[in-house]
Amino acid sequence: MTEFPSTGEGTSEQGTAKGGESNPVGYLSGAPQAIIAKLTDSRFQKQVIWTIASIILALLVSAVIMTMAGYDAGRAFAYLLVGALREPGRVLQFATPLILTGLAVALAFKCGLFNIGAEGQLYIGSMAAAVVGFTISWPYLAHPILCLFVAAICGGIYGLIPGLLLAYRGAHEVVTTMMLSYAAIALTTWLVGPNGFWMDTAGSELIPQTPLLQDTAILPTIGGPYLHWGIFVAILAVFVVDYLINRTVLGYEMRAVGLNRDAAEYAGINSKKNVALTLTFSGALAGLAGGGEIMGTYNRFIHRWSPGLGWDGITVAVLGGNNPWGVLGGAIFFAALRVGGNAMQMDAHVPIEMVSVIQGLIVLFVAAPRAIMWMQNRGVEYVEWVKSEEKLPLDHLFGIISSLVGVFISFGLVSASTGNLLLSVSLLLVGVVAIAAFAIFLAKRRYILPIFTILSIAWLLTALVSFFTGILLVTVIAGVMGLLSITDLLLLRRRYQDRNIVKEAES
Amino acid sequence: MQEADISILLIGILLKTTLQMATPLILTALGGMYSEKSGVVNIGLEGMMLMGAFAAVWATFLTGNPWIGLVAAALAGGLLASTHAIVSVKFKGNQIVSGTGIILFALGFTTLMLDAVWGVAGDTPEVTPLPKVQLPFLADIPIIGIVFSQLSPIIYLMFVLSILSWFVMYKTPFGLRLRAAGEDPSTLDTAGVNVEWVRFIGVVLSGCLAGLGGAYLSIGFTTRFRKGMTGGRGFVSLAALIFGNWAPLGVFLAGLLFGFLNGLPNIIQVLAQYNSDLAFLMNYIDLIAMIPFILVVIALAGIRKSRPPKGIGVPYEKEAAG
Repeated sequence: MTEFPSTGEGTSEQGTAKGGESNPVGYLSGAPQAIIAKLTDSRFQKQVIWTIASIILALLVSAVIMTMAGYDAGRAFAYLLVGALREPGRVLQFATPLILTGLAVALAFKCGLFNIGAEGQLYIGSMAAAVVGFTISWPYLAHPILCLFVAAICGGIYGLIPGLLLAYRGAHEVVTTMMLSYAAIALTTWLVGPNGFWMDTAGSELIPQTPLLQDTAILPTIGGPYLHWGIFVAILAVFVVDYLINRTVLGYEMRAVGLNRDAAEYAGINSKKNVALTLTFSGALAGLAGGGEIMGTYNRFIHRWSPGLGWDGITVAVLGGNNPWGVLGGAIFFAALRVGGNAMQMDAHVPIEMVSVIQGLIVLFVAAPRAIMWMQNRGVEYVEWVKSEEKLPLDHLFGIISSLVGVFISFGLVSASTGNLLLSVSLLLVGVVAIAAFAIFLAKRRYILPIFTILSIAWLLTALVSFFTGILLVTVIAGVMGLLSITDLLLLRRRYQDRNIVKEAES
Repeated sequence: MQEADISILLIGILLKTTLQMATPLILTALGGMYSEKSGVVNIGLEGMMLMGAFAAVWATFLTGNPWIGLVAAALAGGLLASTHAIVSVKFKGNQIVSGTGIILFALGFTTLMLDAVWGVAGDTPEVTPLPKVQLPFLADIPIIGIVFSQLSPIIYLMFVLSILSWFVMYKTPFGLRLRAAGEDPSTLDTAGVNVEWVRFIGVVLSGCLAGLGGAYLSIGFTTRFRKGMTGGRGFVSLAALIFGNWAPLGVFLAGLLFGFLNGLPNIIQVLAQYNSDLAFLMNYIDLIAMIPFILVVIALAGIRKSRPPKGIGVPYEKEAAG
């Protein structure tokens, strides 16, 4: 959770005292002041706090989901952490393509475009790199550079197509890039299949894949079996994209088009050119990601090899706030989740898909910074309300705790009451009502009495249902919860009735 | 069999495959229409379909009644959509980002539950699918008899919902409000209608319909849930929605077209079996699978300009009172 890089942040909007400077040395030497300016910027600080809060909230919700699904959440998180920490090389290897696809999506976002089809550009780039890698014999060093170059060019062209269609024909880029990405997967599958041009015919089994790359084309590994030189390409790309977006005229125009296309046009910026160019660069980055993976990890093109790297690029870009350095941090964080997820699956027996759930939740929370603000405000409001009461509102506190506990008890009992539909349904009902009661306790005190009445009735009904179906354990628990709820309800009623009387007297 | 009989049979099978492939697309695209007409982009249709497909199988597995499964699918889709609505309408978050989160969550959650409920990694055990319906009065008509033989009831539901959607969208006050929320929310607000609620309902409806689309895949067309079984159909539906110009009839026709294109590989397989001259096409099956996607791109770029609702993708901010 601490992977958020604080270095180099100074290069985005705020800290640019020397806007428009095109000297790379000056760009680097101006960085420290800019970093300080950025770190003390309250908007940036807020964004970091929101992101971290999103991650924590997502992990909390994941813990609830895991508990309800019958997994040991504590054990899962422990292995998630341990798994990620004990294999840093693996984490960086996983992060390498994610950094590049994340940059691809983030760059497009900066220009107001959603490149949802980075996956397709990645496939085209990786196919190109593989073909150049096994058909041509070039010397060491030159060969990988050629392969990566071709991968970037081909990915770029594959991004240019939807770019041009959007700029000149108004074809929505979300649909076109998505469709082209399915097309790319089908095309590459055919190319390496038995009827295509590049299938490996040497092996005994006919798998749709190309022959192995020449030795000269393979990216050497660094300090272990996993991490390869692609990581340097990715980090270089972070610098280049950061420089492009924040320090060049082109980047300035791209951002202007992203903020308001009409205003940019009015200011004399050719938005069509910028749209087409942005998607080209975006495609080139995705192509680079594919090429790097083929040359560093897979050593050949295998049909449908990518585990959704283009998709994860979207998540990474979102988490990184579309800032190149944020993307670097986000990519490492997600790579850590994946690597840790493997350990979690092996040792805690929680399927690795849990990682996808966590990712989805993080993205959802990041999408709504106002949700976190809202919760924060409610929390503050609630504390102030408690302070304003003459004595500690114990009945209130009890209501909160009992509804929260009720959520866990009811959902926990659902998994125990398999086979009895009516009981399961009534328990689920109790759970939902308890969630609502908990939320209402914190948010709107106006509805506390009705919702708590419903909760008490729901508990008692459940007790009744389970009594008639003969599950006595549930009867006892539900009965106790119901009676406690009713007692508390009476106390709460007195509090609010007293208040109403006071209010009426005042008016 | 006679030559003519075979070609009639082939046309019948072709049309039937098209209809079967189109049904989940049309249902989901109709759903997307409710959301996008009200001004909320719904990238997450794919996830809602997946959730519906899973919930249908789960509920059918628990109760043994596929009709309860169908209802559960709509509820599950709607529930997931309400998350999207809370994030993007109530908290005015980025709609595309939220949709992406929905997809990731649904993909992970459904696969996780496969392990939690059945302890399997890929496929669920088989459940009872919805009973196939045979309309007696259609059986004797030449081609139509083949097309409408043994269809899942969801397909008929799809026809009903298509017509109903047209009616709701253009003939009811609710439809008018929904469209106004997407075109010009501030005017709707001035007229005293709560824009947030209208959008919320639009998004939840979209999830319900997408859930039904997913249910067709799991308990209509097949008998089980498979990991990631929607395979991008949610996105194809989104394309159908845009291609159909955000209108019920357009969506219906675009859905049929995409269904045909989606079913093309299957249709080619059938053709190749009947006619050995066409067997060579099997070598190009992956290339043929590409065609629909390319056609969509060309169609979007060339044939017609589609016009999205004006206020789409922009959270509605009520101006501060006083």
